[in-house]
Amino acid sequence: MTISVNEREAAVQAAKPVDEIKLMVGGQGGDGTLTVVNLLGRLFKELGLNTYDQRNVLSRIRGGHADGVIRASARDIFSVGDGIDVLLAFDEEAVETAKDLLSKECVIVYDSLHGPLRRELVPANSTVYSAKFSDLAGTELKNRLLKNTVSFAVLGRVLGVPDELAIKVVRARYERRGQEVLQPNLDALSLGFRVADDLGIRAHFGLPKGALGQRIQISGDDAIGMGFIAGGGRFYAGYPITPASEILEYLQANLPKFGGAAIQAEDEIAAINMALGASLAGVRAMVATSGPGQDLMTEGVGQAGMAELPLVIVEVQRSGPSTGMPTKHEQSDLNHVVFAGHGEFPRLVLAPANASDCFYMTVDALNLADKYQLPVFLLIDQAMGQNTQSVPEFDFSKVKVERGKLVDADSIRSIQVYKRYQITDDGVSPRTVPGVPDGLFQVTGNEHNEWGFVSVNPLNREAIVKKRMLKIDEAKKDMPKGTVFGDPSAELGFITYGSNYGPILEAMEILAKRGVNTKFLLIRSIFPLLEDEILPFLEGVKTAYVVECNLTGQLRGLIAKDMGHADKLVGINKYTGSPFRPSEIVNRVEGLQERSQFLGGVDHS
Amino acid sequence: MTEYFKPVTPIWCPGCGDFGILASLKKALSDLKIPPHETVVLGGIGCFGHIHNDLAVYGYHALHGRVLPTAMAVKLANPRLTVIAAGGDGDGYAIGGNHFLHALRRNPSIVYIVSNNGTYGLTKGQPSPTAQVGYEGTQETPFEPVLTALSMRSTTFIARGFSGNQVQLQMIFREALQHANSLRGMAFVDVLSPCVTYNDTYAEWRKATVDVNADAGYDVTNRTKAFQTVLGLLEAGKLPTGILYRGSGKSYEEMVLQGKEPMAYQNIQPAANVEMYRKLISRYK
Repeated sequence: MTISVNEREAAVQAAKPVDEIKLMVGGQGGDGTLTVVNLLGRLFKELGLNTYDQRNVLSRIRGGHADGVIRASARDIFSVGDGIDVLLAFDEEAVETAKDLLSKECVIVYDSLHGPLRRELVPANSTVYSAKFSDLAGTELKNRLLKNTVSFAVLGRVLGVPDELAIKVVRARYERRGQEVLQPNLDALSLGFRVADDLGIRAHFGLPKGALGQRIQISGDDAIGMGFIAGGGRFYAGYPITPASEILEYLQANLPKFGGAAIQAEDEIAAINMALGASLAGVRAMVATSGPGQDLMTEGVGQAGMAELPLVIVEVQRSGPSTGMPTKHEQSDLNHVVFAGHGEFPRLVLAPANASDCFYMTVDALNLADKYQLPVFLLIDQAMGQNTQSVPEFDFSKVKVERGKLVDADSIRSIQVYKRYQITDDGVSPRTVPGVPDGLFQVTGNEHNEWGFVSVNPLNREAIVKKRMLKIDEAKKDMPKGTVFGDPSAELGFITYGSNYGPILEAMEILAKRGVNTKFLLIRSIFPLLEDEILPFLEGVKTAYVVECNLTGQLRGLIAKDMGHADKLVGINKYTGSPFRPSEIVNRVEGLQERSQFLGGVDHS
Repeated sequence: MTEYFKPVTPIWCPGCGDFGILASLKKALSDLKIPPHETVVLGGIGCFGHIHNDLAVYGYHALHGRVLPTAMAVKLANPRLTVIAAGGDGDGYAIGGNHFLHALRRNPSIVYIVSNNGTYGLTKGQPSPTAQVGYEGTQETPFEPVLTALSMRSTTFIARGFSGNQVQLQMIFREALQHANSLRGMAFVDVLSPCVTYNDTYAEWRKATVDVNADAGYDVTNRTKAFQTVLGLLEAGKLPTGILYRGSGKSYEEMVLQGKEPMAYQNIQPAANVEMYRKLISRYK
């Protein structure tokens, strides 16, 4: 065997104890590069560490640069953090992409297929291990794609984990696919270990001891799918769209086992109307989409509001407008879901902050939809939908199914006169479903009277509009509450929703170390905003940084409109297509602090 | 006994073909003794889409063009229900055209009745996709819904009625309801129903309609010949009516539900599925 080691720069250092580790794997899309991230995830799981990963892919099946970042820590983490400690690069483009993120003493494992790595691309104190992984896999194993597993073995050595653990992880991933898949991968590991020996690799990092209990690694999309099933959802309809397709796929794989159905519709318009049909028949129903699909679903949202049909709509935001950047992160559809549709009708908008929230708040959304008979949005974003994160195992015993004023064949007997849209104190009317004797209804998107018959009578119009809109206020008491973090006496505050939660918590730690104390209101109810949590927070700070991934500050605008205190609200915005890193928030805060007398508008920096 | 709504009087103009459809449908439902509380009628937007208000059944007024996806999901949610989707030609063949194709492709066991008059009556007479050339200046070739349905190999019941022939229409509706309620798939019934105000075609349609079932040699189970006969009659300026095609194939409920308990009747309380949840989560451990 000839191993071509082109470079062996920098002496191998003694293993350095670290609190956490961040790795990036980059190469061409579609050749399995990102399976290394999956293997690393499993490896860290075995070590009892929390992980958070993020994938950067293009909207194409094969080719183009693709990378994945995975971070592992003994602490809770909900962001990729800052910097890269280990880079596995299958080409120079991967190094170019990562170079600004590389930490000073990082380790780079490089596939020198097309020649040695240009040293000037990487930090002076970094260690570079080069080998022709693809060629080796091709000649020794007759399959160039096994470069991924070969290099995973090398990474295992860099991380100082026992070879047996790397073998266990590869077995766990490929065993189910049979010996013909497993054996070549085991051979690839052996080759990788030999390469590591030849390169003289010793452990560079002393990984933290993980002592985590029952943790799971799951994406927000999958957690929503699971929450839907646990919460009694049985009918799902969707149309493939990045980054929400995983929900469709999850439910197509799992919902039938529970007697439900997940339908791939001909378009989003069909999808939402199908969900309305299932809801009409008494089945808990959901759709999920992203911005462009939400555009098409909008008329259906109004129908749910007007006809008073329970419906859950998941909006996984991506970079817009129009087709935008389909695989990229953004939070620019908040206005779209809060204000979507012509006319005025009630809706609720919930915003989970991590995968745990995604699970439990999908159950909340189903219960709220049934209880208040209206459309309920779950507003998440690309990072939350698709990034895998470690969270405590979901507790199914906490799941409650509450169906509100649903009337069945027994309870209809206690009703003398049944009117589907009966005006009540809380705006919610008794609801039957087809099949209930004597519970017949007319359900319609036309303006209607209590019977459900078309009506343009002005007195009826006022009464029935008020009845419907009353439900927004009534629902406030049941909306998921936000959480306040940080120093209660701090005069600087953060407000956000969704996946900015993780980076903000870390930014607060960095700021505190630099003597800047902050507090943080994470909101989970976007519409209606809850004055009980927002007003006291705003009253307690001089400045509230509203952090969101868009240009115009949509959440900031909504808070200013509904809660006031516009003078205290300062936007920290990003719309590059990737989520905030903690350091970016720190830098913005420090920058804004320096020129605080000029604040007030959108920060375009 | 609980009192519920009383059906209202139709909104249609005197002489509208839709009265004939309503009367025939009522008769067919009553002949077959289908319980009102197990019947859902979903109307599209347009004059005919109001029909659910005129019947003592569970009624739903869908969004314009969206009656088929809605009705299909009602059937999937609870296959024990009699599900009737009803709308006009604008609703079904223009704005809802995509759903029409996909409903034909999926074959859900619902009855789909289209009141076809070639015009948008409710918005005052614009030409629809089935408008004859020259109507309101349209130069576009009319859409032929029954030919389209015949051309799709997934369809199992295709009929065309004429609101001026109630005896035939009642027969078609009875057969259509029986087809759908025995879960054999979608019963598609296009009904020629003149708009007396904007496109009064009674006289010419009365002359042009041909009952294909009157010919003992017409084989409703032979798709190729049915297509040939229907196309031939259309090209000769005639309007073929009756049951045009009847076949067998998998219904959508069969494909999707595979005989499971209707979703609408399932116990969805979490305690009912504890072991199954454990399996769901194990993949992520």
